[in-house]
Amino acid sequence: MSFFKDAQKLFQENIREYGMYIAFFIIILIFSITTKGLFISSRNIGNLLNATSYIAVLAVGMTLVIVIRHIDLSVGFLAGFLGAIAAIALKFWLLPVYATIPLVLALGILAGLFTGFLVAQMRIPAFVATLAGWLGYRGALQLATEGTGTIIISDEIFNAIGNGFIPEIPGLDIFPGIHKLTLLLGIAAIILFIRGEIKSRRKTRSYNFEVLPMNMFMLKLVFVSALIGGITWVLAGYRGLSWAAVVILIVVSIYSFVTSKTVLGRHIYAVGGNPEAAQLSGISVKKITYVVFGSMGMLTALSGILYSSWLRSATTVAGTLFELDAIAAAFVGGVSVSGGVGKVTGSIIGALVMASLTNGMNLMGVGISSQYIVRAGVLAAAVIFDVATRKTVK
Amino acid sequence: MNPPEEATPVVEMRNIKKSFAAVQALRGVDLVLHHNEVLGLVGDNAAGKSTLMKVLSGAYVPDEGEILIEGERVHIANPWDARRLGIEMVYQDLALANNLDVSANVFMGREAVGTRVGPLSVLDGHHMELETQRLLDRLKIDIPSVRLKVERLSGGQRQAVAIARATAFNSKVTIMDEPTAALSVAAISKVLDLVRELKAQGASIIIISHRLEDIYQVSDRMVVLRQGRKVRDCAVEGDINEFREQVVAYIIGARDDFARKAAG
Repeated sequence: MSFFKDAQKLFQENIREYGMYIAFFIIILIFSITTKGLFISSRNIGNLLNATSYIAVLAVGMTLVIVIRHIDLSVGFLAGFLGAIAAIALKFWLLPVYATIPLVLALGILAGLFTGFLVAQMRIPAFVATLAGWLGYRGALQLATEGTGTIIISDEIFNAIGNGFIPEIPGLDIFPGIHKLTLLLGIAAIILFIRGEIKSRRKTRSYNFEVLPMNMFMLKLVFVSALIGGITWVLAGYRGLSWAAVVILIVVSIYSFVTSKTVLGRHIYAVGGNPEAAQLSGISVKKITYVVFGSMGMLTALSGILYSSWLRSATTVAGTLFELDAIAAAFVGGVSVSGGVGKVTGSIIGALVMASLTNGMNLMGVGISSQYIVRAGVLAAAVIFDVATRKTVK
Repeated sequence: MNPPEEATPVVEMRNIKKSFAAVQALRGVDLVLHHNEVLGLVGDNAAGKSTLMKVLSGAYVPDEGEILIEGERVHIANPWDARRLGIEMVYQDLALANNLDVSANVFMGREAVGTRVGPLSVLDGHHMELETQRLLDRLKIDIPSVRLKVERLSGGQRQAVAIARATAFNSKVTIMDEPTAALSVAAISKVLDLVRELKAQGASIIIISHRLEDIYQVSDRMVVLRQGRKVRDCAVEGDINEFREQVVAYIIGARDDFARKAAG
């Protein structure tokens, strides 16, 4: 019976993290049944990922902003505005796509640093500073698209970011209808994951620190491998991994690494946990605020690129309500309202949960008004869960 | 018990004055802390205890006076200067990040770096955990795991972590601001044990406290402040009731050893 005891202990200690994954799994299960498998079909999942990407990258940046106890309301229209800049650069300035993307990302960082300046240097509450940004970038977006209306983007490479898929290995005829490169990448990911886990376990043990019991460790390996394998299999059944999904993977990998393994990440969470203590410990709260808002700006630019590429155009209302979707995704993903707590992987799951709800209910034919109410319930439930599990800790 | 007078003190503060607008918080205070000494600092509210220690720890810059660390005149403009000189302060509100684990708190702002990836420094988590464990063992602090988040610790354990952090990096002086405030009786005795353990290991400590029993139990010497002036500086000895009566007389202003000096 030690297996169940171990499982129970592990679950209790990590209830906040696991709760979200379980909720996500249940949502997938419910929609798969109610839509008779349509939801889990390769084509739908592929489209779902593409349609989530621009919110997911925002949610990653928003996670860190909320962790350091701020908020950014300006990201929606900033994403729309920067998407319009990208379209204008491609269409009217005739910049090549390889110059357009760095330019837009750099503008995003500048915009983010400006918000950081208002918050860190001028000491304006982030809510107000970014509310001003919300108004300002909305105006800027309308100004940029005033003369032309919707700007159609015809650059194939640019449009591939939001719509394209990674290439197939040429000349391979086995498994027709299955995307081989995606499959290979999935297998590679599983091998790398297992190797990394075993290595880290061995290292931790060599320092005489506690590790997961063997049976739980095996369970974790099997579960995560099955998850990666399952997603890979579903994606490989349509057209494989999309470029948008690749972008999400890269962003999540980099941000997970920075937040959990580096001094910078540790300082971000220290500032979120107790800004005064961080400052007294020699951490510059100002610097961290600049870095976090700068990264938010860059990810906002990325979101704008993904969205305009996905639509193959820049519209006059692009980015409307993105900020609230990103904030909701972060909270559903376990970011704590009081600051200092929240992982970027959680926020990605949060974004996927919210997008799955919309997508699944659309497939079921649920009316848009009911959809909002269901999503409201999920958001409220997530925050109630967060607060309730926090209390039991004390 | 008293170290020989000719030895250079760890800290010497001379004629420290500090005003806030019209209020004279410190009116020329002298304070000496010897090597391996526990000094109790007592006084009523607004007597200037915290202000004096904030001057030493760099939170305030004095209007007048000088500070000598091991005989050398120093200028302390901010908390980082003080830290570099080996002066660590344990704040009353603890200054811990509850969302981080014990080892992350001990190393906050001084994280051990393993490798570098471009502009990023990668944490050496194992090293920090090992060092933290070693530190807790050395100070006989009982915490189940260095990976526990601080929010899961009791008040006494948190205080122990805060004190351990202040002494972790070869500090010369540890200042504790009300280390036993808001703790249970059992936790108070543990914190006092920790202070004794630190002294046994050679630390020099200044303790601010309202609780005269605590001062009596762990201090070698004590200084009483009243209205921004030092009114008593003596060894801690004798019977506790006598001690308390005497100290209270100084705190409320019934007695004053330095009255003439202040007048002149």
